[in-house]
Amino acid sequence: MIGLTSLAQAAYPEPMAGATLAHYLAVSAIMFVLGLIGFLTRRNLIIMFLCTELMFQAAGIALVAFGRYHLNFHGQTFVVFILTVAAAEAAMALALIVLLFRRKESLDARSWEDLKG
Amino acid sequence: MDRVTSGVNTLGAIINPYMLYGLCVLGGVGVCLALPRGGKRPQILGALLAALIGGGAMLALGLTAGKAFPNLYFYVFSLLGLGAALRVITHPRPVYAALYFILTVIASGGLFLLLSAEFMAFALIIVYAGAILITYLFVIMLATQAAEEGQTEALADYDTHAREPAAATVVGFLLLALLTAMMFGGVKDLPAPGEPGHTRLMGQMHTKVQRTLRAEGVISPTEEVNAVDERAGTILVTADDGTYRKVERKDWPASLATGNVESLGFNLLRDHPGGIEIAGVILLMAMLGAVVLSRKQVQLDDEAKKAEAHRLGLIPEEGGAR
Repeated sequence: MIGLTSLAQAAYPEPMAGATLAHYLAVSAIMFVLGLIGFLTRRNLIIMFLCTELMFQAAGIALVAFGRYHLNFHGQTFVVFILTVAAAEAAMALALIVLLFRRKESLDARSWEDLKG
Repeated sequence: MDRVTSGVNTLGAIINPYMLYGLCVLGGVGVCLALPRGGKRPQILGALLAALIGGGAMLALGLTAGKAFPNLYFYVFSLLGLGAALRVITHPRPVYAALYFILTVIASGGLFLLLSAEFMAFALIIVYAGAILITYLFVIMLATQAAEEGQTEALADYDTHAREPAAATVVGFLLLALLTAMMFGGVKDLPAPGEPGHTRLMGQMHTKVQRTLRAEGVISPTEEVNAVDERAGTILVTADDGTYRKVERKDWPASLATGNVESLGFNLLRDHPGGIEIAGVILLMAMLGAVVLSRKQVQLDDEAKKAEAHRLGLIPEEGGAR
């Protein structure tokens, strides 16, 4: 009832040609969920942003796998944009974290609990 | 492409969906136990359990795909990446978490290589592992309290104790179960894999075609490539006396092909030019924002400003001529 779809193989060497699209999607889903759990459970602000990067990675793997499946380059192009957004996000987030750390001398997300309305 | 689709099997033959959900639950328990709680033992146990479940799921996927099993590199890279990802979210020391994330990035770079995305693999390693993660490491070192005198263990409470591990794991693995169910249920709606073919970019790269043909000795140095029709498989060549001749596809050298970087570049600049502009604006805004945010206001009185200016040689000493 459920089929595993093969990745399109454009004359690829046989030993590397085996994995199906579902393999990569499974890896991507697991990695995304690990990042999500990390974001929810860790209390260190830096690790929380590291976990968002983990989710970016997972999205990138899924995009490249789909691009490979359809044999076009749109997936890889979007990974370029993901990379851009990740770099911008890292710069902004780390600047914010440095600012917040100077204010409270702690990286604990709980020390900013009074922000919730 | 019957050769590769013959290995396709049904997932239901090996894992039925309920077993998949069972695997998700077990993996969730493992990850939940692995999250830092101040103690040590249940964490190692949980990590082992989660790793075992992950490995089992991978193995089941491999067995299902039949011919896919010999693909060793996929399993190496994905287990490395997922194991390192687990350590990223469970390691109590931020520096080690960042280092494990570098391992994840390198493993995903390997997966990209397997997907024949060479440029993205190396860009990922250079940009992520080389630039972004180093910034993270710097900030971790900047924003960590120094250990007190004679005290080696300086783990903060917020690093060793997870926040709501059970609830978060339930949410995460519910999402995973949903994603995998959708994935395996939904793939039959996907179109069949695309036909392997040429990207038909050669027609836009006359100089490259001419250079390659000259280097391979197909045309003489005085002949010039006039038009490339990749669909019809002909290259029109003009000699210096004005006569034309055609180079058919069977005479094309093997090195006359577009690589990953060329195809990606054409895709990026021809199909998504607006995206590049927006990406540039995003980066500029991020740079400005980071500079403005992290600027430190230093209050100096006039005396100190003057002394600093003297030290830097910006204004001459008292009484000296400019």
